[in-house]
Amino acid sequence: MPGTTSPPEIELIIEDIGGGRGNPPPDGDHGDDGGGDNDNRGRKQSPSPKRYSTAITIALVSILMFFMALASAFIVLRHGSDVWVTVHLPPILLANTLILLGSSFTLEAARRRLSSADSSGFRKFWLLTTGLGISFVAGQLIAWRQLVAQGVYIASNQASSFFYIFTGAHAVHLLGGVGALLYVSFRKSDQKRISLSLVAETTSYYWHFMDGLWVFLLALLYLGK
Amino acid sequence: MANDDSEADQPETPQPGFLARCVFSTDHKVIGLNYLWLALFSVFLGLAMSLLMRIHLVWPGVRLPFLSGSSLERYAALTTFHGSLMVFLVLTAAPQAGFGNYFLPLQIGAREMAFPKLNRLSFWATAASLLGLTIAFLAAPETGITFWIASVALFSFASLCNGINFSVTTIDLRARGMTLARLPLTVWAWFINAILSTLIFSILLAASVCLLSDRLLTTHFFPPLNFLAGQPAGFVVNFLPVLWQRLFWFFAQAEVYIAMLPCFGLTTHLLSTFSRKPVWMERLVVLALCGVGLFGFCVWGQHMFASGMNPFSPLVFSLLASSLGLPATILVISWLGTLWNARLQLNTSMLFASGFVSLFIAGGISGIFLAGHDLAAAAVSDEFITGHFHLVMGVAATFAILGALFFWFPKLFGRRLNELLGKIHFWLTFAGVYLVFMPMHWLGLLTHANLYSGSRIAAMVAPVRGFITIAAILLVIAQGLFLCNFLWSLFRGEKIEERNPWRATTLEWSVPSPPPAGDFGATDPVVYRGAYEFGVPGLAEDFVPQHLSPEEVAKAR
Repeated sequence: MPGTTSPPEIELIIEDIGGGRGNPPPDGDHGDDGGGDNDNRGRKQSPSPKRYSTAITIALVSILMFFMALASAFIVLRHGSDVWVTVHLPPILLANTLILLGSSFTLEAARRRLSSADSSGFRKFWLLTTGLGISFVAGQLIAWRQLVAQGVYIASNQASSFFYIFTGAHAVHLLGGVGALLYVSFRKSDQKRISLSLVAETTSYYWHFMDGLWVFLLALLYLGK
Repeated sequence: MANDDSEADQPETPQPGFLARCVFSTDHKVIGLNYLWLALFSVFLGLAMSLLMRIHLVWPGVRLPFLSGSSLERYAALTTFHGSLMVFLVLTAAPQAGFGNYFLPLQIGAREMAFPKLNRLSFWATAASLLGLTIAFLAAPETGITFWIASVALFSFASLCNGINFSVTTIDLRARGMTLARLPLTVWAWFINAILSTLIFSILLAASVCLLSDRLLTTHFFPPLNFLAGQPAGFVVNFLPVLWQRLFWFFAQAEVYIAMLPCFGLTTHLLSTFSRKPVWMERLVVLALCGVGLFGFCVWGQHMFASGMNPFSPLVFSLLASSLGLPATILVISWLGTLWNARLQLNTSMLFASGFVSLFIAGGISGIFLAGHDLAAAAVSDEFITGHFHLVMGVAATFAILGALFFWFPKLFGRRLNELLGKIHFWLTFAGVYLVFMPMHWLGLLTHANLYSGSRIAAMVAPVRGFITIAAILLVIAQGLFLCNFLWSLFRGEKIEERNPWRATTLEWSVPSPPPAGDFGATDPVVYRGAYEFGVPGLAEDFVPQHLSPEEVAKAR
């Protein structure tokens, strides 16, 4: 505890909490505002920047539930149906997958550059990640067009409905990630209250999650054939 | 996600206009109040709809607005409108989003929600969903259903954002010294409910997306034929009402838990404050609240796709008798333990809180008795189900909301609601709800027991139905009393000068009423103790507020 003025009772009850969550109350030295000073009473603090990563974590759990609901619908309907018409997945999906996996690596490379204060290297890799992300979405669009050319539409059968819903919902979520990548690329860093590393970290959580989610969905689609 | 918030200490703008103050404000207090206004509007609209239904049921010949023409469809639409208004915009929005938005930051010592702009977005999405529901009701049935689903999807989205906002606020924005163990139980309930919302509403959103795609893109996620095949023959008269009903029940399943959880928190808080005693077994109550959330999630998740979404699957019975059994028992025991040997302050707020306990116990007991019954048979008598869940869920939750309103009104508006009118309103309502919904139970049992011939049942049923309808009309008139009290007190009510008229312990009572912008003035609040320190011996006052430092307490000795 940095606070010399803090009353002894506070410490007593912090120990009393129990459970692994024992986050001590925000005690003055959050990340950017210059470390803990002893007198916390008598001045306002801006809310902890940790809230961004907390929010993205909870949002990811929520997004996971969304896709789990779709996936369980897929599994239930797949098993309950007598006439399941399979959809032949376009081969371009594999290329897209590789692109998306690659983008995760470039994102991490960018973040490593950032932590070693190499800002031009960071920008380069970050833009590369953004480009890969956009090309993944473009690749998904091509896959859709290929299916449409084969005469497979969203309402053709249940399998095709699921294919379009899965890829569509994932692409919408991924576009949110692309938006975040673009935001980081073009933000003016001076007057913002959240630091670049924090935004990059939060974005990376989301991006890796979308990456893993896609692999899961693809596996589901392949195995569900 | 990357939401830049307005800084708390922005320069004072000279008297912003009405739009800036109320409509586009990101202040959690304004947004919370807006939710409450929305709920107040919806509850009276919903009441009017229920009266139309009752009157139509008893006197089918009477010409009523919204019920002309093809009556079956209109009646189903009316039912759905009433249900969605009450469940979504009243029972979900008022206790969680309304009171939660206003008081969660105040009670944990935060100056604002974690993401104020996201908060504003949620509110306006909720308001838009109310508009959508109304359009769905007024539109032709086919478009109406599509509108309805879209509105529900919008509402789910709003609740998701809300849930994220609430949980992040509770996790990261607590004041110095506000450990988890010191959180008021209201905050615990809001927090657990927020997490439950983020999980459940995303499933709802997924389901609505599939349904919308079924309707707009002609996919077949929810094949209608499977559903109809499993229904009793009487249901296949008309496809449309069945679809309405199905959707309504389908969503209601999750909503039960979402609506009840914050009410548990509110009731516990009120009972403790007005018994002037600490919450009995506070830790266990927190665990029980977590249990309600967990059970709520598991039971519902299993229901979701596994049970084929039979709308009459054991909705309320299993809820009270099996899944909620253990945590509900803990809660009830804690409430009774808190009340035991207490010097009760029987004001209106306390009356409503005790009314909640009474309704909850009554519903719980009948739920346990009925859990063993064959539900496939019981499902035929849907009047029983109607009576049961209105009493347990709808009315009980409303009691908790009203109790909280009487409790927090001085903080919200700096005035007190009239106690005498409040008490008359309470007793009329308390008698009224039992008179309306208890006979419904009996009707349900009567029509499905094979003791009497059809004509005799019809002869017995008609007067009871008439009685229920008259009681319902009186009940709604009694709510007019509340509306008068509310509006009168808003402008003319007894002014409260002191900050803490109820002598309560939590942080919101340490600031002026109504709280200023930024809530806590120049200094951040610091918390030194748990939320329910009542009846501490050796002090002049019988309570110790959370923000009182040990030195100040020592001075008071």
